Amino acid sequence: MSASSSDVKTEQIDLAKLSLEQLMQIRQEMEKEINSIQASLQTLYNCKAKYASSKEALESFQPEWQNRPVLVPLTSSMYVPGRIKDLDNFVIDVGTGYYVEKNLESSKDYFMRRVDYLQEQIEKIEKIQIQKSRFLNAVAGVMEMKQLALSKQMQQQQSA
Amino acid sequence: MDKNSTALVKKLQSELEAYQNLQKTCVKLVKQRTLLESQLNENKCVLDELNILGPDNKVYKLYGPVLVKQDLEESRQNVGKRIEYISKELKGSNDTLENMEKDMTKHRETVQKLQQQYQVAVAMK
Repeated sequence: MSASSSDVKTEQIDLAKLSLEQLMQIRQEMEKEINSIQASLQTLYNCKAKYASSKEALESFQPEWQNRPVLVPLTSSMYVPGRIKDLDNFVIDVGTGYYVEKNLESSKDYFMRRVDYLQEQIEKIEKIQIQKSRFLNAVAGVMEMKQLALSKQMQQQQSA
Repeated sequence: MDKNSTALVKKLQSELEAYQNLQKTCVKLVKQRTLLESQLNENKCVLDELNILGPDNKVYKLYGPVLVKQDLEESRQNVGKRIEYISKELKGSNDTLENMEKDMTKHRETVQKLQQQYQVAVAMK
């Protein structure tokens, strides 16, 4: 805690010394960074939702579904009838072209772990995002102060 | 005097061009590095997953549209090799980027110097 507050202080000292143009540049860069962070966060959320929906699909599997008729999608609008032969085997895409056969429990476990992992990453990035937007606010605040001082100076010059 | 300043302008332009070219390659390299980093991450995840599998878990690899059965131990080794390879590439790309950044600061400094010289030359006229 103490370290982070001292960080903010040194930032503010630095900011006050910078010119308005430099501050503007910093603000633009920060805005770009924050935008890209937001984009990656969105991707992470989407991925998490995908894994979560896979897990939900597994949750709905019931043991008495053995031999149940199902319709298997060939395309998004065409199905062929099928039967559930094996309830306890799922092939999961684990990335880079590798697929692994797992039983129901460890499949659920896999998706759980993925969701947890993504949640961890999301929290990490959210922390960074908060830091960056705080910094951006600091920059904007200093800019406002400088602009105010500048306009005051102008007024004084005009009246004098 | 005039000759001097036109020579300066030419120098400035060529220097600026070199700097901009460097900037472009830099952007490309950064993109490449991001790609490598994401590949490394993905491979690491896959290796983690393969490492917790038991001998009764079947592993397949996607070749085109078909899944081909793989030996678990072999897959582990393959993914491990890939990680090694990508890490090496990543290190190389980091090194070139570092050198490029140094180059870029050098060019930037010369551009600034030339600009100052030019301004002085114009003011003298």
